[in-house]
Amino acid sequence: MKRAGAEVRIIVARSLDSPLPDPTFALRRLGPGAHIEILHGAAACRARCREHSVDLIVAEAGPGAECWELLDAIAPDGPPVIVVHRDRSERAALAAFERGAADCVVAGEEFPDVLPVVALEQIQRWRAARDQDVAERRIRDLESYNQNIIQNLNSALLVVDLDGRIVFSNPPAEEILGESAEALRGRPIWPWFPETPRGEVHVARTLATGERFKGVESTLTRADGTPVPIGISSAPVFDSAGTELGAVAVFSDLTEIKLLQRKVLQAEKMASIGQLAAGVAHEINNPMGFIHANLFQMSEYLTDLRRVWDEVGALLEAVGGGDPAEVRRCSAELAEASKQVDVDFVLSDFAKAIRESQEGSERIRHIVNDLRNFSHRDSEHPVLADVNRFLESTAGIVWPMMKHLVVLEKEYGNLPKVGCYPMQLQQVFMNLLVNAYQAIEARIGGSGETGTIWLRTEPRAGGVAIIVKDTGIGIAPENLDRIFDPFFTTKKVGMGTGLGLSTCFNIVERHGGSLVAESEPGVQTTFTVWLPGGNAAERAG
Amino acid sequence: MARRPTLLIVDDEAQILSALKRSLRREGYEIVAVESAAAALRVLDERPVDAILTDHKMPGLSGVQLLARAAERRPDAVRMLITGWTKEIPRERLEEVGICALVTKPWDDAKLKATLRAALAPASPPAGGSDTRDPSSDYSLRR
Repeated sequence: MKRAGAEVRIIVARSLDSPLPDPTFALRRLGPGAHIEILHGAAACRARCREHSVDLIVAEAGPGAECWELLDAIAPDGPPVIVVHRDRSERAALAAFERGAADCVVAGEEFPDVLPVVALEQIQRWRAARDQDVAERRIRDLESYNQNIIQNLNSALLVVDLDGRIVFSNPPAEEILGESAEALRGRPIWPWFPETPRGEVHVARTLATGERFKGVESTLTRADGTPVPIGISSAPVFDSAGTELGAVAVFSDLTEIKLLQRKVLQAEKMASIGQLAAGVAHEINNPMGFIHANLFQMSEYLTDLRRVWDEVGALLEAVGGGDPAEVRRCSAELAEASKQVDVDFVLSDFAKAIRESQEGSERIRHIVNDLRNFSHRDSEHPVLADVNRFLESTAGIVWPMMKHLVVLEKEYGNLPKVGCYPMQLQQVFMNLLVNAYQAIEARIGGSGETGTIWLRTEPRAGGVAIIVKDTGIGIAPENLDRIFDPFFTTKKVGMGTGLGLSTCFNIVERHGGSLVAESEPGVQTTFTVWLPGGNAAERAG
Repeated sequence: MARRPTLLIVDDEAQILSALKRSLRREGYEIVAVESAAAALRVLDERPVDAILTDHKMPGLSGVQLLARAAERRPDAVRMLITGWTKEIPRERLEEVGICALVTKPWDDAKLKATLRAALAPASPPAGGSDTRDPSSDYSLRR
């Protein structure tokens, strides 16, 4: 006979003085997985049903009301109850069915054979119903779970059909798109990308080719014309049979992040400028030093020359007076004053002091100019420009801080114009140059030796390559992969933000280019920036 | 009459040297001006020097390194530094090398002259033991 496969728990509800045969023996034929327990009274059965998952109750219809009480207590939502009774009359069975019994079995000769079959059937039916309940509840839970996630997701979520019409949107999507869920449903998404040709909208590409995007930057335009920078990921959506239904897009508003990015960039630049300030102060200090001293000395020279001039005046007066003795006396005085003052020397050194001071002030003017260029805010859009010019200007700014330790070898190639954000590029060059200098300082600082930095540019692969090579301390192989990570630094606390190279990397990436480092520690280290020619920064931006 | 004191000035910028010479023209020193620490060491090997006034940040040896070597060669020569980087050199290092004056760039002419006069004054016993000079009137370092 068929047995109940898994473990089953059966309660036999029996009065102590029951005249009926004990059903336990018959139920044992269900196999060793059947746990049979004899209980007395409705309350005990009910309690057990609450504690355990009971699969079946077999209750005897005794002379008292016990069986009916049990049915009332269990039948509405509990496990199936099979009523065993002595009476073959239909009336008794009907009464039991009315009270909710699952089945009725007569305690006759065939009872030991019939009961297990009926019991098994009831158990299977009950379990099937229960499994379905559980499945339905799980589906409901899952739905509300997903719904919860989607609704409370910080990111915007849109599902579109194959035509790009909105099928579903969550609240953040509604906020970014600037419309309610009702207004969005069924609308195509293309009007939010008025500037982009239809075929180039990321979602359109996903729909057309199944291409998936992960966090790419784009800009959407609200109905009122407000542009919103977004980061968007999109993927095709399929049903369980594998038929494409449309696409799902997750995106977030990058306005604040962009703002923050710009601030970090500016902060990093300011930090670099702080680093520079000391070097620049020194570079200004030297010419200031001699201009200051020269001015002081020139005023002394002027006093000296005035003294001689006074004697010249006296001599002229004496010549006018016509007294030869007076003329001789004044002439001698003039000669004496000239000798004391050393007019020849003063005149030539005065001229030299002026010339040197002019050179000094020209140097200061140059430094201040470079620095002012550097602290400018960048243009909003990339401009076509000559990278050599920026490199030269940046080298001019950092040179003073390193010239006591470094020989700078420059070799500028003939370059095509590059679309770029000039200030950002200068920041990259400055970081690379300052790093190169610091690497040299770390290796030979204080030893009296000098290091070399090579600065080379050349046209390469339709763009330009800027190569900064130094003979500094180098980068250990295990660090080479991490140098572009934000906040990674091997410099002493307070010496570096750990943002320099990661900022460089981001800037170069924004230009659609690449930044690569190679190092042979103790020998040489090379950073190569490659930037695409033409206005690639616009496309990448 | 005693020979004129010899002052060795060292700076990698020729204009600084000529401005210093200009400032000190009437001070009665024999001034030897060189543009590097290496040249300064050669001078120290060749002739007596009473005082050295050197820049700090120069290609090759720094000013402090030069003065440390000068202390070995000419322990009697007065050692002075003239630099815009006064804050960057640890005070202990200055004492170690026996640097007696730290002149800041840009310098004040009168203070520079006073510093040199004090440094090159004939080694008179510190009369009365107390130093009566105004501390702000020159660049001398006092403990």
